[in-house]
Amino acid sequence: MCFKNLPIEFDSQGNATLKQGVANPYTYTETPAPTPIEDDPERMRELFARNGAIRRVDFDPVTRVAGALAFHTVVDLDSREVLETASMATLFRGYEVILQGRDPRDAINISSRACGVCGGVHATTSALACEMAFGISPPPMGVVARNLLLSTEYLYDHPIHLSLLAGPDFSEEAVRETNPEIWTRAENTRTQGREVHGYEFMSELMTDLTPLTGKLYLEGLYYTRLAREAYVLIGGKYPHPHTVVPGGVSTTIDPSDLNEIMLRVVKYFDYGRKTVAIWNDIAEFFYDVNPKYKDIGTRPKNMVEPGQWDDPFAYDASYENCDDWGRRRWATPGVLVDGELVTTSLQMVNAGVEEFVEHAFYEEWTGNGSGNEYYKFPTDPAGNPLSPYHPWNKETIPKPTATSWKEKYSWSTAPRWDRMAMETGAYSRIWTAAMTPNYRQSNYIEPTGHSLKIHLPKASLPNTEIEWKIPEVWGAFERNRARAYCILYTAAIAYDNLLLAYDLLRKGGPDAKMSTPFKVPKDHRIGVGLWSAGRGYLTHHMEIDKGVIKNYQILTPSTWMASPKDPFGNPGPYEEAVMATPLLENYEKPEDFKGIDVLRAIRSFDPCMPCTTHIHSDDRTITREIISCACGATGDHEH
Amino acid sequence: MAPVRDARGNEMRLQTVPHGGGVFGANRQPGLGGHGGSPNGPLNEVHVFWIAGMSCDGCTIAASGATNPSVEDLLLGRIPNLPKVILHHPVLSPGAGTEFIRPFKQAVNGELGAPYVVVLEGSVPDDQAFPSDIGYFSAMGAGGFDPESETDQPNRVTDWLWKLAPGAAAYVAIGTCATWGGIPAAAGNITGSMSLTDYLGQDYRSALGVPVVNVPGCAPVGDNFTETVAAVLMFLQNLAPVPKFDELGRPAWLFGETVHRHCPKAGYYEEGVFAEEFGDNECLVEIGCWGPVVQCNITERGAINHMGGCMVAGGPCIGCTMPGFPDKYSPFLKAPPGSSISGGISKVTGGGIRRLRRLSMKKGNRTGVWDNAHEVPSGWGRAHGDKGPVDKANGFFYEKLQYRGSVNHAKRNKRQPLPQSRDILRQKGVDLTASVDVLGERVKTREEL
Repeated sequence: MCFKNLPIEFDSQGNATLKQGVANPYTYTETPAPTPIEDDPERMRELFARNGAIRRVDFDPVTRVAGALAFHTVVDLDSREVLETASMATLFRGYEVILQGRDPRDAINISSRACGVCGGVHATTSALACEMAFGISPPPMGVVARNLLLSTEYLYDHPIHLSLLAGPDFSEEAVRETNPEIWTRAENTRTQGREVHGYEFMSELMTDLTPLTGKLYLEGLYYTRLAREAYVLIGGKYPHPHTVVPGGVSTTIDPSDLNEIMLRVVKYFDYGRKTVAIWNDIAEFFYDVNPKYKDIGTRPKNMVEPGQWDDPFAYDASYENCDDWGRRRWATPGVLVDGELVTTSLQMVNAGVEEFVEHAFYEEWTGNGSGNEYYKFPTDPAGNPLSPYHPWNKETIPKPTATSWKEKYSWSTAPRWDRMAMETGAYSRIWTAAMTPNYRQSNYIEPTGHSLKIHLPKASLPNTEIEWKIPEVWGAFERNRARAYCILYTAAIAYDNLLLAYDLLRKGGPDAKMSTPFKVPKDHRIGVGLWSAGRGYLTHHMEIDKGVIKNYQILTPSTWMASPKDPFGNPGPYEEAVMATPLLENYEKPEDFKGIDVLRAIRSFDPCMPCTTHIHSDDRTITREIISCACGATGDHEH
Repeated sequence: MAPVRDARGNEMRLQTVPHGGGVFGANRQPGLGGHGGSPNGPLNEVHVFWIAGMSCDGCTIAASGATNPSVEDLLLGRIPNLPKVILHHPVLSPGAGTEFIRPFKQAVNGELGAPYVVVLEGSVPDDQAFPSDIGYFSAMGAGGFDPESETDQPNRVTDWLWKLAPGAAAYVAIGTCATWGGIPAAAGNITGSMSLTDYLGQDYRSALGVPVVNVPGCAPVGDNFTETVAAVLMFLQNLAPVPKFDELGRPAWLFGETVHRHCPKAGYYEEGVFAEEFGDNECLVEIGCWGPVVQCNITERGAINHMGGCMVAGGPCIGCTMPGFPDKYSPFLKAPPGSSISGGISKVTGGGIRRLRRLSMKKGNRTGVWDNAHEVPSGWGRAHGDKGPVDKANGFFYEKLQYRGSVNHAKRNKRQPLPQSRDILRQKGVDLTASVDVLGERVKTREEL
């Protein structure tokens, strides 16, 4: 049903089974990556003869993203095309190895530190993995408390991206430097959203996007703090909360906490409206200047979304029931292929995932497919087939080597769903919800199949209808626009959950308890936490045995998107999006080129690299000796 | 990669562009900030190079949350007499690529023309132990450090760190990874990660003679970092005495106390009552809190803008500011061994104290009028309850002690006549039987009570 490339069939009841009669069904033949331009004499000669405007432009580091990202391009500044791209994650810390052999009670607080931008969601996703493995689930109030944590977290996360990271690329100084003719036009263009954001002309809006001195920049910074103030009332601190525990939270919530959170959340009703109006104006203005701006960062509408914000009365932490409780989430799970929703099953989201390391600084672990028949988990706990490249089966060994575009060039693996590169983010969340049939009951959110309506109570600004429409052309401007709408979407969910929390607190009883007691099981168990981060897909796969963690794997949104090329010859999403980006920057000669369109394309994904890079390993002990050995030699070592 | 040659055997290389990533223009002040600042101090201008090693960026996020002072206070020159501060930060700087790296290279080569401070977030991997041709665990920028170099390999962060060290006016380690090693350096460390002090060595002194300044926490309280930076800048401007640092280079005024001493739940410990489950409101020691032996100020200062704080919200302390974090506090969510002794003692002594306090509290919950009327006129029911013999005996001795050598208000109150208009609605015959029952706890008549 939902898989085109994986060897999985569905019977008449819709149960997934492995295709019969295929030996080593997950085996593939590697398609080599194209020879890098600079290593290809024929191509080089052709390019040198073509014009004098071929340039290598490396963005190392890409700033205004979280974490260590470098990006390599070769561009033709005459035809304004990008000829070659390579996305590089330039940091590796080995978190999963550090998690191995530890008490499972350490998992939440150690894995939280995988990312300091979205540590709170790592802690929660880890708690979900623990709960599945331990066989417990939180009382309703514990779930609601987490929903409040992770809605206030995203209310900090989206503004930090829009105001501090992406916004400056549309500010006065950047636009004057890279496209002065657009600035002139902005001075003469009236905005559409002036009733809401108060800017009469586009130029005024752009002036206030300027780093540090712009009012919108400083306002965005303020709103990142306001949401964190709400967060720490339940989480204690941010980015690494110490109140998330298996079975719920260790917070005591009283009415003052809820009141203080509520008074902060409702401020985002107006701020969200204003932000939506601003990013609508930015997109429409640039499209009006040149419709080719729609193609900045464009790529197929392929997205993966595990969903988040559990129904407090449906979530039971079990894998068997996760399709049911997954569909009850405020953000529903799903996979989009070419803009069509092909599944809403959390089990299928999970079963379709594989990770490849042909172009990453790791060694392959299945013996290039020869281990196919004998890998650890041929099926998930519900009986769905799993690939030997699935995170539960992953056993990767770091192998730092010199950087080569043809061979290995990144610490990010190449995750694929049904062997396709996927993007994920605030936009996949709102998009999947918009298309989900039978969306859960909500006072404020109404999916229509082609749009998502958000009905918020009125705050200061007039109560106009908010509707995010699924865009026809997918690119950088639409990513940012959707993220702006997600401020309102998130605020609505925070408010929904606040009202639930007031109700539970008033009623008291077992539903109002914060946590369910647990004991660490001593037998062999597995668990997975599926919970989308602010920037999209996040999973923690855990295996425990004899009371210690045997295997722990984290798959993050930016691993999906910063991914290098896969063994099927497909680029990762950043690479693909930049390849498709027309260079609309205004330069007279190649020496003046700055690369703003490339940077706008990359930043629109909201890259967050800290947790992108890590290693996964099985019970095999990885020591520095093995690393030194593996990287010091070309294969003639003894180990 | 081997160079490609053209038909005449000349090496063919793609040209690069000089301002790649410089979307804000070459004329703009590189970095973020550089507004305002004092022209009169010994320091007119200071650059801050923020480098991320084995980092999660959590310290950056924590610093962005600071409000006392805020990052923009420092960068916009809002604090009188402080120098102009220019920040070069991979997450915040406007420029990217070549344009971003240029000032770092100028600093390494002594060509920056202004003093600079280096801030490290994240621990230091053992990359220098590798031969140079086999990669890295942490890299920033590419192309080597030698202007003649033609390498296209990424530059190791560890190279930046040692090359920037001798010229730095000060070197600040932010967060537990940079200060002590943190999680990348915990058991299972496969990258050889260590702290900045381990890496630079105990003899390191900055150009102004200062050892590495350590602001720990995972992530730290943002204000702890910005306040320390401001304190150092004030000292450098001759406005304030040199800040005090402890023997491990921590700001002494921030990390001198245990986090338990200012914990709002410490009173529960005193009275010997402990949380048994996650979500209980009492002292968290028995569900895994190490607060009594951890140096941190988060319960006093809050996490952001004076709000939150681990135990304030109910989160047990896991020692994240300490050099032994995480292994010396693992497993988390389990009572520390010491708590069985100290907690046991407090249960015995605290239990007695708590009971006596409840008696005094009950007494304090009565007005003099209620004492004289022998009733509490509350419609909420809960506040009722007569004084028993224990209350009376306690009251007698308590008053003796309390008012000895002073005026006895208990006696004075007893002589006070009851106000005649007490219970005025009843005296006026107002009928309240039509009140709507929204509480499920209808206001009861005096007789019913």
